[in-house]
Amino acid sequence: MATRTQFENSNEVGVFSKLTNSYALVAVGGSENFYSAFEAELGDVIPIVHSTIAGTRIVGRMTAGNRRGLLVPTQTTDQELMHLRNSLPDTVKIQRVEERLSALGNVICCNDYVALVHPDIERETEELIADVLGVEVFRQTIAGNVLVGSYCSLSNQGGLVHPQTSIQDQDELSSLLQVPLVAGTVNRGSAVVGAGMVVNDWLAVTGSDTTAPENLVVESIFRLQNGKPDDISHNLRDTLIETYS
Amino acid sequence: MQLSWKDIPSVANANDMLDIVLNRTQRKTPTVIRPGFKITRIRAFYMRKVKFTAEGFTEKFNDLLQGFPNINDVHPFHRDLMDTLYEKNHYKISLAAISKAKTLIEQVSRDYNRLLKFGQSLYQCKQLKRAALGRMATIVKKLKDPLTYLEQVRQHLGRLPSIDPNTRTLLICGYPNVGKSSFLKCITKAEVEVQPYAFTTKSLYVGHFDYKYLRFQAIDTPGILDRPTEEMNNIEMQSIYAIAHLRSCVLYFMDLSEQCGFSIEAQVKLFHSIKPLFANKSVMIVMNKSDIIKYEDLDESKQESLKSLYDLKNIEIMNTSCVEEENVMQVRNQACEKLLASRIEQKLKGASRINNVLNKIHFAKPQSRDDVERPAHIPEGVQTLEKYDPLDPNRRKLAKDIELENGGAGVYNINLKEKYLLDDDEWKNDIMPEVLDGKNIYDFLDADIAAKLKALEEEEEKLENEGFYDSDEDLEPEDADDIREKAQWIRNKQKVMIEEGRNRKHMQNRAIMPRDQVKRSFDDMEEHMYSLGHDTSTLKQKQQLSAKPVKNAKGLDILKKTTDIDIDEHIKKRKRPNKQSDRLNDGLIDEDQQEKTDRLTKVQRRDRNRDAKVGEGDRHIMTMMPKHLFSGKRGIGKADRR
Repeated sequence: MATRTQFENSNEVGVFSKLTNSYALVAVGGSENFYSAFEAELGDVIPIVHSTIAGTRIVGRMTAGNRRGLLVPTQTTDQELMHLRNSLPDTVKIQRVEERLSALGNVICCNDYVALVHPDIERETEELIADVLGVEVFRQTIAGNVLVGSYCSLSNQGGLVHPQTSIQDQDELSSLLQVPLVAGTVNRGSAVVGAGMVVNDWLAVTGSDTTAPENLVVESIFRLQNGKPDDISHNLRDTLIETYS
Repeated sequence: MQLSWKDIPSVANANDMLDIVLNRTQRKTPTVIRPGFKITRIRAFYMRKVKFTAEGFTEKFNDLLQGFPNINDVHPFHRDLMDTLYEKNHYKISLAAISKAKTLIEQVSRDYNRLLKFGQSLYQCKQLKRAALGRMATIVKKLKDPLTYLEQVRQHLGRLPSIDPNTRTLLICGYPNVGKSSFLKCITKAEVEVQPYAFTTKSLYVGHFDYKYLRFQAIDTPGILDRPTEEMNNIEMQSIYAIAHLRSCVLYFMDLSEQCGFSIEAQVKLFHSIKPLFANKSVMIVMNKSDIIKYEDLDESKQESLKSLYDLKNIEIMNTSCVEEENVMQVRNQACEKLLASRIEQKLKGASRINNVLNKIHFAKPQSRDDVERPAHIPEGVQTLEKYDPLDPNRRKLAKDIELENGGAGVYNINLKEKYLLDDDEWKNDIMPEVLDGKNIYDFLDADIAAKLKALEEEEEKLENEGFYDSDEDLEPEDADDIREKAQWIRNKQKVMIEEGRNRKHMQNRAIMPRDQVKRSFDDMEEHMYSLGHDTSTLKQKQQLSAKPVKNAKGLDILKKTTDIDIDEHIKKRKRPNKQSDRLNDGLIDEDQQEKTDRLTKVQRRDRNRDAKVGEGDRHIMTMMPKHLFSGKRGIGKADRR
């Protein structure tokens, strides 16, 4: 399923939420509309947690996580950490990370098996990522951008990267991540795909500005609703050429 | 590029504009003036009025000139459309008249301001102002026709459909009454009038639809008659321009039943005569009203006349019926396919453009780098999860619904602890203290933290005893001392620099000794050079060599050289200037007098000291009534001090 929603008139869904295969974090907002958008799609399959990180609502950008664990920055208060610990199942490890680049969501992009990280991240953090999230860690950039978490959204079945990523880069990244990749946009042409959407293995949530062709690309690359990544270079080719140029 | 002009400000007619501007002048400039006022004031008063009025007019005209599109800047399609609808020359002349009026009014304002500068009396100034405003009014009144015309244009322009000449477009054309509008009605949601008589559609109509997730616009054009373009009326010309300028797929509609009142031959002829306009466009011929008659059912003579169409290459012919909605969608889809194919072909030609797109239609397949399986992880609950339908009365209750029941957003407070996953549900709402016995609770979450810490400490101690850390000393590099020394030097230097900086700051606004007045000794220089890291030994030698040997050495010099006694000290003491007067006791005859002066000085200073003044020049006035001493709740007679 790929749904569209908004957080208080902002399309940057990935900023205000974090979605993994075993839990979802959602920012505490003025109303429950955003939370309910997740609730409607996820039901009670995985826990959806209202949370703040360091008193902010940008939980998606501050945290990094997958099915096995969740990394939170040093600024996270004890109370917030306790709240997360109480709300998430015991199988999910939660770890506070002493990292100078504290917006972990921007510098780490991961699925359940691999993670791309900012090239300047500390060694200790890299080890923590590997231990807590149980992933292989690669220092990489996406289309020359060091903020890999902002410019890439990843699930176990596929990945969407910055629209300016060259074909060669895409192939390299794809082999590294072992998932099919495509370059694209969300939210009517926004290049920050990591911040503009959240995705797990059966659900993608994008901003409400997302156009139909963008949504189609999302559904096919992440294999949602019987989408196949092959569609992008076959069935959707004409549509994409028309929309992008 | 602008595609619709819905926000042009409305154009007031000449009289209204006059009223508006003059009224504004009256309201927004001062109105009272008397003959007794200074003449400069009177002049300024009237000059202001004239200027203000002129500004009011130019502002209005500027709005008009900027609001209306420049007919040469718009897309050729819109240009030709405007030409047929509003007559290009008329439009241009009207706008030019406005622009001319603007300059004229500015000129009038300038001229009369110049005259007003020399006005001698109130009366004279007033007459000048009247004349200026009168001339402006005349200029505006002459604009009556252009203004009314522009208002009509504005109203019409605002109602034109916004047609994007560059987007994906299906263009429906053909003879009148062949079913163009009904086709548009079938494929889009546009509300087009469909009537059984010719020229129901008198202007362009636009509808939108989606195909392959792309937005298309379909344009319904008025019917065209087969005659030379010079004879065509405005209504037909709109169709011609649309066909000529829009990059589109043209659907040429035909009525084989001849119910439209035009024979098949005439329709075929029209197609051939407008064919030159179809260059570089994809074209389809649609035989409408197939519910009445089809090509196969026509008699031979008619089939013969259609033959020329069937012989054409690259042109498809399809049957459809809008009444029975038969084949309509196929026609639409076929047309869209054709259009897309041609557009994409064109786009793929431009190398720079296609490079932007290629990486977005490329789907990168991973090459496996190891044998690890990386399956997706989808919990079982997902498949069995009922799809949420907001219209279903038995739908799941979401947090949104609960919020609404409890007073809506801003009133209802969610309980964050509601969904905690704890061993005992009763624990959920327990209040956890943050700090207990002066210790942060969360630092002691782990039950055996004390034991673990102890184990760690023991390990550490063991390591220390085993000499695990001792080896580190050997690791110190050989040049450590050197480094340390340098570091110390750097630290000292930093301190000195900080101190110097402070001194510099301190010296702000103080008298500074000019550089050339400051005496610097050889020792100073040497020290400075040394601190900069120069070798000063040669310098020293040089100095010693160049030091003038004392000629005609006297006994004292010899003594100075040979002994260590500092004779200079003795000499210096004597060298004090003798003639400097002692100003403290100057002019005092004896001690009595001195004593008296001292006493008087003390008396003089007494007042000053009591007021805590710094000196004679201190004029500072302290707070007269310090609040804390003069306010309070003390009633009368409770305390002495008040």
